[in-house]
Amino acid sequence: MTQSIASNDSKRIWNLLGLPFRKKPLVGVSPSDVVHHENKWRLIRYRSRPEGLAFRTPVLLVPSLINRHYVLDLMPGKSLAEYLVAQGHDVFVLDWGTPENEDRYLTFDDICDRYLGRALRLTSAYSERNQAHVLGYCMGGILTAIHTAARPGRVASLVQLAAPVRFHDDGLLSAWMRTPSFDVDTMIAAYGNVPWQLMQSAFHLLRPTLSLSKAVGLLDRAWNDEFLDGFFALETWGNDNVSLPGEFFRRFARMYRDDDLVRNAMTLGGDPVHLADIRCPFLAVTFEHDNIVPWRSAAEVMTLISSEDKQHIHLPGGHVGAVVSKSAARGLWPQISGFWAQRDR
Amino acid sequence: MMLWDLWKKGFDAWEDATARYLEAVLKTSAVLVPSGALLSAILKLKAERERMTAQLWGALGLPSRRDQERMLHLLNQLQSRITDLELTMQQQRGRGTEPERMLENRSN
Repeated sequence: MTQSIASNDSKRIWNLLGLPFRKKPLVGVSPSDVVHHENKWRLIRYRSRPEGLAFRTPVLLVPSLINRHYVLDLMPGKSLAEYLVAQGHDVFVLDWGTPENEDRYLTFDDICDRYLGRALRLTSAYSERNQAHVLGYCMGGILTAIHTAARPGRVASLVQLAAPVRFHDDGLLSAWMRTPSFDVDTMIAAYGNVPWQLMQSAFHLLRPTLSLSKAVGLLDRAWNDEFLDGFFALETWGNDNVSLPGEFFRRFARMYRDDDLVRNAMTLGGDPVHLADIRCPFLAVTFEHDNIVPWRSAAEVMTLISSEDKQHIHLPGGHVGAVVSKSAARGLWPQISGFWAQRDR
Repeated sequence: MMLWDLWKKGFDAWEDATARYLEAVLKTSAVLVPSGALLSAILKLKAERERMTAQLWGALGLPSRRDQERMLHLLNQLQSRITDLELTMQQQRGRGTEPERMLENRSN
């Protein structure tokens, strides 16, 4: 025991000294092909396992617009996409890409209706039932819920991963977005797209002590190479943010401020969006210590949809850690895969 | 090592309490309203500068940055509509999309 502690201590010191020279972790490396690209977004299909697919309905993963898609394929052993492929699913992911200055004019409908619709249409064309299972994560979940409510035809089932629907909650983001003196229109006039630096600062302020806490955590577990690889992979992803198209954000902010989803005041391509129109099999996943999306605002969806086949899983953990951690590989991922496996036809 | 563990426990407790306190402070209108107003004022200045630069370019008969962005956006929209048309035509011709053709070949 004493020998093991001493060995950990020397490994810790060795690893800390070697941090500047440590190889950068490889992120988003599961083998994949781009099956469609348009403007800046791409539809990526992961290569299936050597023994072939086990399920007939493909899966479309829809991440948030403000982060890179590879959080769902972080690194070998910590990748939801890799796990799903290994189970025999045909997995697609929507990579929103990096908006350029001209994309300030992209509207909510362009992204949530046209782009997401096309990705879903292309994915579902790979199945004989012409449908796909859809998973929306965080802001991606808001988009998938809206799209499914307005255009349910190609959605075989919907999994909402830490995706809020009630925006008037007790979280910091909600309080900031609803501050009357914060003028969204002026920001868009000034910058065009919402700069990622501004959003990243806001996310840092959600827990101002987080950087210090991470540094202490790093010191504490520096002896563990696996932890260090995961830590730096997550840091790489966390600092690789993208700006948000201005017109899209104008509508998104209004939806947030007016709580349009629960008030049935949202539209998509001119059609009304009522969450009660979601009737497909439904799984909501929320996290107890999620400080970005308070779990109650994500769980609310269970009371708003009309699906008879619906489940809610509430897990410990935070907004990102609970999706890419070792415990996710043991708990969350098998539950998601199992949900789709039971509804495969 | 025990000393470190003890310190770590103390740090975790401090971090949690401080984070909760700061969250409460950052949510108060006494902080939010002036911060929002300050940010909006800075943004207004930047927006005004953008507008004046665009006017200057316009006066010289040159396209402003905004004009160029609008043009590029329209080109992207046009490309998107062409993709819509291509996919619709493929379906109407009964050829299906690429994956649909793959499925067709597989079943044959």
